[in-house]
Amino acid sequence: MLDPFLTTLEQLPLAAALRGSTWLYPLVNATHIIGISLLFGSIVPLDLRLAGFWPSIDLIALRRVLLPVAIFGVVLAAGSGVLLFLPKAADYAGSFWFLAKISLVAAGLANALLLRRSAEWQGKGEGSWPRIAGVASLLLWTGAIVAGRLVGYFD
Amino acid sequence: MDLRFNGLNIRKDMPMLTRRDLLTAIGLAAASGLFLSMGNRLARAHHGWAWATDSVFEITGKITAVKLGNPHGELILDVNGESWEAEIGQPWRNERAGLTDALLAVGTEVTVSGRRAKDPAQKLVKAEIVTIAGKAYNLYPDRRS
Repeated sequence: MLDPFLTTLEQLPLAAALRGSTWLYPLVNATHIIGISLLFGSIVPLDLRLAGFWPSIDLIALRRVLLPVAIFGVVLAAGSGVLLFLPKAADYAGSFWFLAKISLVAAGLANALLLRRSAEWQGKGEGSWPRIAGVASLLLWTGAIVAGRLVGYFD
Repeated sequence: MDLRFNGLNIRKDMPMLTRRDLLTAIGLAAASGLFLSMGNRLARAHHGWAWATDSVFEITGKITAVKLGNPHGELILDVNGESWEAEIGQPWRNERAGLTDALLAVGTEVTVSGRRAKDPAQKLVKAEIVTIAGKAYNLYPDRRS
Protein backbone atom coordinates (compact mmCIF):
# COMPACT_ATOMS: atom_id res chain seq x y z
CA MET A 1 0.00 0.00 0.00
CA LEU A 2 2.77 2.38 0.99
CA ASP A 3 5.37 0.80 -1.25
CA PRO A 4 4.95 3.00 -4.37
CA PHE A 5 5.13 6.10 -2.18
CA LEU A 6 8.29 4.87 -0.43
CA THR A 7 9.90 3.99 -3.75
CA THR A 8 9.07 7.48 -5.01
CA LEU A 9 10.76 8.95 -1.94
CA GLU A 10 13.88 6.86 -2.55
CA GLN A 11 14.02 8.11 -6.14
CA LEU A 12 13.97 11.80 -5.23
CA PRO A 13 17.15 13.59 -6.36
CA LEU A 14 17.73 14.58 -2.72
CA ALA A 15 17.54 10.93 -1.64
CA ALA A 16 20.01 9.93 -4.37
CA ALA A 17 22.38 12.73 -3.36
CA LEU A 18 22.31 11.62 0.28
CA ARG A 19 22.77 7.98 -0.71
CA GLY A 20 25.86 8.66 -2.77
CA SER A 21 27.42 11.32 -0.58
CA THR A 22 30.69 11.06 1.27
CA TRP A 23 30.23 13.93 3.73
CA LEU A 24 26.59 15.03 3.54
CA TYR A 25 25.09 11.87 5.03
CA PRO A 26 27.40 11.68 8.09
CA LEU A 27 26.95 15.42 8.70
CA VAL A 28 23.16 15.04 8.59
CA ASN A 29 23.66 12.15 11.00
CA ALA A 30 25.60 14.46 13.33
CA THR A 31 22.82 17.06 13.09
CA HIS A 32 20.34 14.38 14.12
CA ILE A 33 22.40 13.65 17.22
CA ILE A 34 22.70 17.35 18.08
CA GLY A 35 18.91 17.66 17.82
CA ILE A 36 18.38 14.63 20.07
CA SER A 37 20.94 15.96 22.57
CA LEU A 38 19.20 19.33 22.80
CA LEU A 39 15.78 17.71 23.21
CA PHE A 40 16.82 15.07 25.72
CA GLY A 41 19.20 17.32 27.63
CA SER A 42 16.50 19.92 28.18
CA ILE A 43 13.50 17.66 28.68
CA VAL A 44 15.09 15.47 31.38
CA PRO A 45 15.60 18.30 33.92
CA LEU A 46 12.11 19.58 33.15
CA ASP A 47 10.59 16.11 33.53
CA LEU A 48 12.43 15.56 36.81
CA ARG A 49 11.13 18.89 38.11
CA LEU A 50 7.61 17.86 37.09
CA ALA A 51 8.10 14.47 38.73
CA GLY A 52 8.90 16.12 42.04
CA PHE A 53 12.60 16.87 42.15
CA TRP A 54 13.80 20.40 43.07
CA PRO A 55 10.43 21.66 44.32
CA SER A 56 11.97 25.01 45.26
CA ILE A 57 12.95 25.78 41.67
CA ASP A 58 10.36 27.96 39.96
CA LEU A 59 8.70 25.85 37.28
CA ILE A 60 7.65 28.80 35.13
CA ALA A 61 11.22 30.10 34.94
CA LEU A 62 12.58 26.61 34.23
CA ARG A 63 10.02 26.12 31.48
CA ARG A 64 10.89 29.40 29.84
CA VAL A 65 14.49 28.29 29.43
CA LEU A 66 14.15 24.60 28.68
CA LEU A 67 11.04 24.47 26.51
CA PRO A 68 12.39 26.52 23.58
CA VAL A 69 15.59 24.48 23.62
CA ALA A 70 13.58 21.24 23.59
CA ILE A 71 11.39 22.45 20.73
CA PHE A 72 14.44 23.53 18.73
CA GLY A 73 15.95 20.09 19.36
CA VAL A 74 12.79 18.31 18.16
CA VAL A 75 12.69 20.39 14.97
CA LEU A 76 16.38 19.75 14.27
CA ALA A 77 16.07 16.02 14.96
CA ALA A 78 12.90 15.66 12.88
CA GLY A 79 14.30 17.60 9.93
CA SER A 80 17.57 15.67 9.82
CA GLY A 81 15.63 12.47 10.53
CA VAL A 82 13.62 12.87 7.33
CA LEU A 83 16.90 13.27 5.41
CA LEU A 84 18.32 10.11 6.96
CA PHE A 85 15.11 8.23 6.15
CA LEU A 86 14.90 9.14 2.45
CA PRO A 87 17.87 7.18 0.99
CA LYS A 88 16.43 3.84 2.13
CA ALA A 89 12.83 4.75 2.92
CA ALA A 90 11.37 1.31 2.17
CA ASP A 91 13.95 -0.45 4.36
CA TYR A 92 13.28 1.81 7.32
CA ALA A 93 9.51 1.65 6.89
CA GLY A 94 9.79 -2.14 7.12
CA SER A 95 11.97 -2.08 10.21
CA PHE A 96 10.28 -3.03 13.48
CA TRP A 97 12.59 -0.82 15.54
CA PHE A 98 12.11 2.14 13.26
CA LEU A 99 8.34 1.88 13.60
CA ALA A 100 8.69 1.42 17.36
CA LYS A 101 10.84 4.53 17.51
CA ILE A 102 8.42 6.63 15.45
CA SER A 103 5.54 5.42 17.64
CA LEU A 104 7.44 6.41 20.79
CA VAL A 105 8.31 9.81 19.32
CA ALA A 106 4.62 10.34 18.44
CA ALA A 107 3.60 9.31 21.95
CA GLY A 108 6.25 11.61 23.48
CA LEU A 109 5.02 14.56 21.41
CA ALA A 110 1.38 13.75 22.24
CA ASN A 111 2.26 13.55 25.93
CA ALA A 112 3.91 16.97 25.76
CA LEU A 113 1.04 18.54 23.85
CA LEU A 114 -1.57 17.07 26.21
CA LEU A 115 0.38 18.38 29.19
CA ARG A 116 0.53 21.84 27.67
CA ARG A 117 -3.23 21.82 27.29
CA SER A 118 -3.86 20.65 30.82
CA ALA A 119 -5.35 23.05 33.36
CA GLU A 120 -2.42 22.52 35.72
CA TRP A 121 0.13 23.61 33.12
CA GLN A 122 -1.92 26.71 32.41
CA GLY A 123 -1.98 27.48 36.11
CA LYS A 124 -5.73 26.94 36.46
CA GLY A 125 -5.73 24.02 38.82
CA GLU A 126 -3.71 21.54 40.79
CA GLY A 127 -3.55 17.85 40.09
CA SER A 128 -1.21 14.96 39.49
CA TRP A 129 -1.28 15.26 35.69
CA PRO A 130 2.07 17.10 35.33
CA ARG A 131 3.80 14.59 37.58
CA ILE A 132 2.49 11.62 35.57
CA ALA A 133 3.29 13.39 32.30
CA GLY A 134 6.85 14.09 33.51
CA VAL A 135 7.50 10.45 34.32
CA ALA A 136 5.85 9.35 31.05
CA SER A 137 8.01 11.81 29.13
CA LEU A 138 11.21 10.39 30.67
CA LEU A 139 10.21 6.86 29.71
CA LEU A 140 8.95 7.72 26.20
CA TRP A 141 11.98 9.76 25.12
CA THR A 142 14.43 7.25 26.59
CA GLY A 143 12.57 4.49 24.77
CA ALA A 144 12.59 6.47 21.52
CA ILE A 145 16.37 6.89 21.67
CA VAL A 146 16.98 3.23 22.49
CA ALA A 147 14.65 2.00 19.75
CA GLY A 148 16.17 4.49 17.31
CA ARG A 149 19.66 3.21 17.99
CA LEU A 150 18.56 -0.39 17.52
CA VAL A 151 17.42 0.47 13.97
CA GLY A 152 21.07 0.41 12.95
CA TYR A 153 21.67 -3.04 14.36
CA PHE A 154 18.49 -5.05 13.79
CA ASP A 155 15.59 -4.93 11.41
CA MET B 1 22.13 22.34 45.31
CA ASP B 2 18.57 21.43 46.14
CA LEU B 3 18.11 17.72 45.67
CA ARG B 4 14.98 17.26 47.76
CA PHE B 5 12.34 15.02 46.35
CA ASN B 6 8.85 15.68 47.59
CA GLY B 7 7.54 12.20 46.95
CA LEU B 8 4.97 10.83 44.61
CA ASN B 9 1.89 12.03 46.41
CA ILE B 10 -0.56 11.34 43.64
CA ARG B 11 -3.61 13.34 44.48
CA LYS B 12 -7.01 11.78 44.62
CA ASP B 13 -8.71 14.56 42.68
CA MET B 14 -8.95 13.79 38.99
CA PRO B 15 -6.76 16.01 36.82
CA MET B 16 -8.77 18.30 34.59
CA LEU B 17 -8.74 16.22 31.47
CA THR B 18 -11.37 16.71 28.85
CA ARG B 19 -12.99 13.83 27.01
CA ARG B 20 -11.15 15.01 23.89
CA ASP B 21 -7.81 14.61 25.64
CA LEU B 22 -8.65 11.05 26.63
CA LEU B 23 -9.86 10.18 23.13
CA THR B 24 -6.66 11.63 21.69
CA ALA B 25 -4.59 9.53 24.08
CA ILE B 26 -6.52 6.35 23.26
CA GLY B 27 -6.24 7.06 19.54
CA LEU B 28 -2.49 7.56 19.76
CA ALA B 29 -2.05 4.39 21.80
CA ALA B 30 -4.03 2.46 19.18
CA ALA B 31 -1.98 3.99 16.36
CA SER B 32 1.24 3.02 18.14
CA GLY B 33 0.02 -0.56 18.46
CA LEU B 34 -0.85 -0.65 14.78
CA PHE B 35 2.57 0.69 13.83
CA LEU B 36 4.29 -1.93 15.96
CA SER B 37 2.28 -4.81 14.54
CA MET B 38 3.12 -3.62 11.01
CA GLY B 39 6.86 -3.95 11.51
CA ASN B 40 8.29 -7.10 10.05
CA ARG B 41 10.71 -8.89 12.29
CA LEU B 42 13.24 -10.24 9.83
CA ALA B 43 16.34 -10.37 11.96
CA ARG B 44 19.11 -8.64 10.09
CA ALA B 45 22.04 -6.87 11.63
CA HIS B 46 23.79 -3.84 10.22
CA HIS B 47 26.38 -1.64 11.84
CA GLY B 48 29.67 -2.70 13.32
CA TRP B 49 31.21 -6.10 13.71
CA ALA B 50 29.78 -7.34 16.99
CA TRP B 51 27.03 -9.36 15.30
CA ALA B 52 29.45 -11.29 13.10
CA THR B 53 31.73 -14.23 13.83
CA ASP B 54 35.48 -13.81 14.18
CA SER B 55 36.39 -16.38 11.55
CA VAL B 56 36.62 -15.65 7.86
CA PHE B 57 33.78 -16.94 5.72
CA GLU B 58 33.55 -17.11 1.94
CA ILE B 59 30.71 -17.57 -0.51
CA THR B 60 30.39 -17.31 -4.27
CA GLY B 61 27.18 -16.46 -6.06
CA LYS B 62 25.45 -14.40 -8.70
CA ILE B 63 24.15 -10.95 -7.88
CA THR B 64 20.34 -10.89 -8.02
CA ALA B 65 19.76 -7.46 -6.48
CA VAL B 66 21.89 -4.46 -5.57
CA LYS B 67 21.20 -1.63 -3.17
CA LEU B 68 24.07 0.79 -2.94
CA GLY B 69 24.64 3.92 -0.91
CA ASN B 70 24.50 5.24 2.65
CA PRO B 71 24.47 3.99 5.30
CA HIS B 72 25.98 0.97 3.50
CA GLY B 73 25.52 -1.10 0.37
CA GLU B 74 23.80 -4.46 0.12
CA LEU B 75 24.16 -7.25 -2.43
CA ILE B 76 21.67 -10.09 -2.68
CA LEU B 77 23.38 -13.20 -4.02
CA ASP B 78 22.08 -16.45 -5.40
CA VAL B 79 24.39 -19.07 -3.90
CA ASN B 80 23.42 -22.50 -5.26
CA GLY B 81 19.76 -21.57 -5.13
CA GLU B 82 19.97 -19.98 -1.67
CA SER B 83 19.53 -16.26 -1.23
CA TRP B 84 22.34 -14.60 0.71
CA GLU B 85 22.85 -10.99 1.65
CA ALA B 86 26.30 -9.44 1.59
CA GLU B 87 26.85 -6.08 3.20
CA ILE B 88 29.43 -3.95 1.44
CA GLY B 89 30.69 -0.47 2.22
CA GLN B 90 29.28 3.02 2.07
CA PRO B 91 30.16 4.90 -1.17
CA TRP B 92 33.60 6.16 -0.12
CA ARG B 93 34.72 2.74 1.12
CA ASN B 94 33.68 0.97 -2.08
CA GLU B 95 35.28 3.71 -4.15
CA ARG B 96 38.55 3.48 -2.20
CA ALA B 97 38.62 -0.26 -2.87
CA GLY B 98 38.02 0.35 -6.59
CA LEU B 99 34.66 -1.36 -6.36
CA THR B 100 32.62 0.80 -8.72
CA ASP B 101 28.84 0.60 -9.05
CA ALA B 102 29.24 -0.63 -12.64
CA LEU B 103 31.12 -3.73 -11.42
CA LEU B 104 28.17 -4.72 -9.27
CA ALA B 105 25.63 -5.35 -12.03
CA VAL B 106 22.89 -7.93 -11.54
CA GLY B 107 24.04 -11.28 -12.92
CA THR B 108 27.70 -10.75 -12.05
CA GLU B 109 29.41 -13.62 -10.25
CA VAL B 110 31.12 -12.47 -7.09
CA THR B 111 33.03 -14.09 -4.28
CA VAL B 112 32.52 -12.46 -0.94
CA SER B 113 35.02 -13.04 1.82
CA GLY B 114 34.16 -11.66 5.22
CA ARG B 115 32.39 -12.33 8.49
CA ARG B 116 29.20 -14.27 8.71
CA ALA B 117 26.41 -13.35 11.15
CA LYS B 118 26.73 -15.30 14.40
CA ASP B 119 23.12 -16.40 14.11
CA PRO B 120 23.25 -19.38 11.71
CA ALA B 121 19.64 -18.72 10.68
CA GLN B 122 20.76 -15.48 9.06
CA LYS B 123 22.19 -15.85 5.59
CA LEU B 124 24.16 -12.68 5.94
CA VAL B 125 27.82 -11.82 5.59
CA LYS B 126 29.72 -8.58 6.14
CA ALA B 127 32.06 -8.36 3.19
CA GLU B 128 35.73 -7.58 3.71
CA ILE B 129 37.04 -8.57 0.30
CA VAL B 130 34.88 -8.79 -2.83
CA THR B 131 36.37 -10.71 -5.75
CA ILE B 132 35.03 -10.19 -9.26
CA ALA B 133 36.58 -11.85 -12.35
CA GLY B 134 39.69 -12.79 -10.38
CA LYS B 135 40.32 -9.29 -9.07
CA ALA B 136 40.06 -8.72 -5.31
CA TYR B 137 38.62 -5.48 -3.98
CA ASN B 138 39.57 -5.02 -0.33
CA LEU B 139 37.08 -2.88 1.59
CA TYR B 140 39.13 -2.96 4.80
CA PRO B 141 42.79 -2.75 3.71
CA ASP B 142 43.83 -1.49 7.17
CA ARG B 143 41.99 -4.13 9.13
CA ARG B 144 43.96 -7.13 10.29
CA SER B 145 42.04 -10.36 9.96
